[in-house]
Amino acid sequence: MEAITYDTLKETLYRETMDNGLQVYVLPKPGFQKTYATFSTKFGSIDNHFRVTGEEEISVPDGIAHFLEHKMFEEPEGDIFAKFASQGASANAFTSFDQTVYLFSATENIKDNLETLINFVQHPYFTDQNVEKEKGIIGQEIGMYRDNPDWRVYFGLIEAMYGVHPVHIDIAGTVESIGTITKETLYTCYNAFYHPSNMLLFIVGGVNAEEVFALVRENQARKEYQPQGPIARLFDEEPVAVHEKRRESKLAVALPKCLFGFKETKLGYSKEELLRRDLATKLALDLLLGASTRLYQKLYDLDLISDSFSHEYNSNPNYAFSAIGGDTKDPERLLQVITEEIKGVTETGLREEDFERARKKKIGGYLRMLNSPENIAHEFTRYHFRGGDFFEVLSVYESLTLDEVNTRLREHIDWEQLAVSLVVSP
Amino acid sequence: MNKTIFQRGSAGHIRIHVLPTTRFKTFAVSLYAGIPLDSKTVTTTAITPFVLRRGTASYPETIQFREQLERLYGAGFGFDVYKRGNYQIVQFRMDTINDSFVQSEESLLSKSFAFLGEVVTKPVLDEGVFRSAYVASERENVRQKLESIINDKIRYAAERCLEEMFRNDPYRLHPLGQRSDLDGITPESLYEAYLNWLQQARLDLYVVGDTSLEEVQELVEKMFHLNRSASPDYAPEHSEIKPGEVRTVKEALDVNQGKLNLGLRTPITYGDERYASALLYSGILGSYPHSKLFMNVREKESLAYYAASRYDGHKGLMTIQSGIEIENYDKALRIIEEQLASMRGGEISELEMSQTKAMIRNSLLEMQDSAFEMIAYDFNRVLSGKDRPAEELLSQVERVTVKDVIGAAETFQLDTIYFLTGQKEG
Repeated sequence: MEAITYDTLKETLYRETMDNGLQVYVLPKPGFQKTYATFSTKFGSIDNHFRVTGEEEISVPDGIAHFLEHKMFEEPEGDIFAKFASQGASANAFTSFDQTVYLFSATENIKDNLETLINFVQHPYFTDQNVEKEKGIIGQEIGMYRDNPDWRVYFGLIEAMYGVHPVHIDIAGTVESIGTITKETLYTCYNAFYHPSNMLLFIVGGVNAEEVFALVRENQARKEYQPQGPIARLFDEEPVAVHEKRRESKLAVALPKCLFGFKETKLGYSKEELLRRDLATKLALDLLLGASTRLYQKLYDLDLISDSFSHEYNSNPNYAFSAIGGDTKDPERLLQVITEEIKGVTETGLREEDFERARKKKIGGYLRMLNSPENIAHEFTRYHFRGGDFFEVLSVYESLTLDEVNTRLREHIDWEQLAVSLVVSP
Repeated sequence: MNKTIFQRGSAGHIRIHVLPTTRFKTFAVSLYAGIPLDSKTVTTTAITPFVLRRGTASYPETIQFREQLERLYGAGFGFDVYKRGNYQIVQFRMDTINDSFVQSEESLLSKSFAFLGEVVTKPVLDEGVFRSAYVASERENVRQKLESIINDKIRYAAERCLEEMFRNDPYRLHPLGQRSDLDGITPESLYEAYLNWLQQARLDLYVVGDTSLEEVQELVEKMFHLNRSASPDYAPEHSEIKPGEVRTVKEALDVNQGKLNLGLRTPITYGDERYASALLYSGILGSYPHSKLFMNVREKESLAYYAASRYDGHKGLMTIQSGIEIENYDKALRIIEEQLASMRGGEISELEMSQTKAMIRNSLLEMQDSAFEMIAYDFNRVLSGKDRPAEELLSQVERVTVKDVIGAAETFQLDTIYFLTGQKEG
């Protein structure tokens, strides 16, 4: 067990890698009632084509990581939610582009709940019958998202940007693609991606680190895993240019939804550079489009945006893009005004005074996030799988310079890389 | 369980509730302002906080206002407008970093109070009334929010169900007001409504963080410029049930998935001795993944992705919601009604009892890790006049028997069935 102390944050993180490769992190939060644990695999919707060292290359149906997540909760003796409930824990799971996360939150029976979490995720139980049954449930989940305009406009943007990279495929897949999933394909994915060496266990809350590590060590020693080499994730080459300039979907909405963004041209950064680029871009976008900017206020005064207007930046070693927008009466005019104004800002550059204020805001937001065990576990895991360290965020923010952020802004705002997604009423 | 003890006081006819603690990295501040739901004031009250967040006497321009928040290390500032029982509540929130984590020359708590006090009591005025540009623009903003409710079909169906169920009760009103009132709102009329609201609202100020009651009282005296003559109490709801026929309302929209919502009434409200039994009733029926609705509608029949119930002790109502294939309406409704009947018939296992108790226990304990959740729980006491600390509710929950749950079940009466269906269906 190794301790890493972050003095300015008043936090100490403990870590240890188990003999089978599982990485375990514990962040004790003295005074907290709750313990929050996530058990995550680096397996998400984009991992649909891969090769485990020494095995054959394989392609799997779209939506399988999410389907697998649903099916993990079933054990021969019944639904695992019931067991967590008996132990007073609230359990859940989610799947994103590049990870699947199983979690529980509890104030009592922490050891039992931790054992339950580890054991159910390390024990797949798929039958032809239970796989078929799940298709109805996930079919309704897909239907629910199809009716959700925010989801549609978001995915529309990614579909416009990416023609090849599987990030453009809906996380849950389609009714057709999940129709082809069988228990055999589930086991194939399970065996590849749920090997401990591809997983991370994070525990935060009112716990004693040494006790947690002892439990996990003992639990893992009981299980037999053959060593597994690295998993090659195979992606066909994605063109640099956007796939389509514009996408439009029809759905009953009060006002059109307009989301636009820039597809990053340069990828393949080192781990440290990736975190830095991520934070510098977020800061740059905030300085350009945040609620305290002249641009934001102008758009608001012109009645072109509402409180729904926001921006985000999503970056991964092999894709990265921004997503900016919200509800608007007039998407064309919104885009026109934004284009003109952004050109002005990128020419003159961001101001030192604004930069310092925005940096303070980001630091405050980051510290506030550390009040929440959920946020800590999720963000830590997300950064970790992408090669970064969540607890370094503060020092990166402190070391960013105005020049760097201005350079990043000019690099990211590349009009050739612009894509637009709209949802309008039929 | 730790005892959560708020220290109580008052200043300027604002009730003050302070929980001194060093557990968090921030100071959490909440100001609740409640007035009875009334069609005459609902819209002006709803727009007021939107106008207040545009500018104050010291920060008249919205950009200045937001820059000031960023200087306070991105202090979280926000507000919500919602209904609790028969009241319309405006809640202002601030979440400010504890100075010990950053280098700040002046107390961030004091600066936050100066800010919040101005927002609520010293808005920017032009010729003695609200600035007309802000009123016009926030009026349109609220109009857009009201019109956009339809975008999220889950929320739309939930609100339509309540609107139908309470069509002869002020509770039918949307917390953001009535669209028909918007055109008549002027800077003069809104300012007058604001002054009345400030006089008449029940004001409760909460602070959780490294501070004391004395410090907060002093800050309120200094930073809130009020001229109030009294601090009225909330009058708790006593829900009367007039047994009647179940009403079914169907509405067609362009949707892929149907939304089935049920509304039930109960005389058991927050202050009732049977409150814990009602919590268990709703919990066993549908608040958790081990509950009857989830197990039967989703897991057994694969009819839905979500099927859940929610009990509101302030109004004395329970809602059930599910997203289903449109042609499965009859089947889903039958299965839901079977679950209601089985609860009344006492088909409740000891396991369901113990699991649900454990889940409620867990959520009550977890609450203590979140400053804003502790505040929200304590505010129930103010709203209902019933002082029931979390540890007391916990012991009441532990004592509930199957017989008590059946007793609670008998009081819940189905009132309204609302179905949002597709346009293709006849």
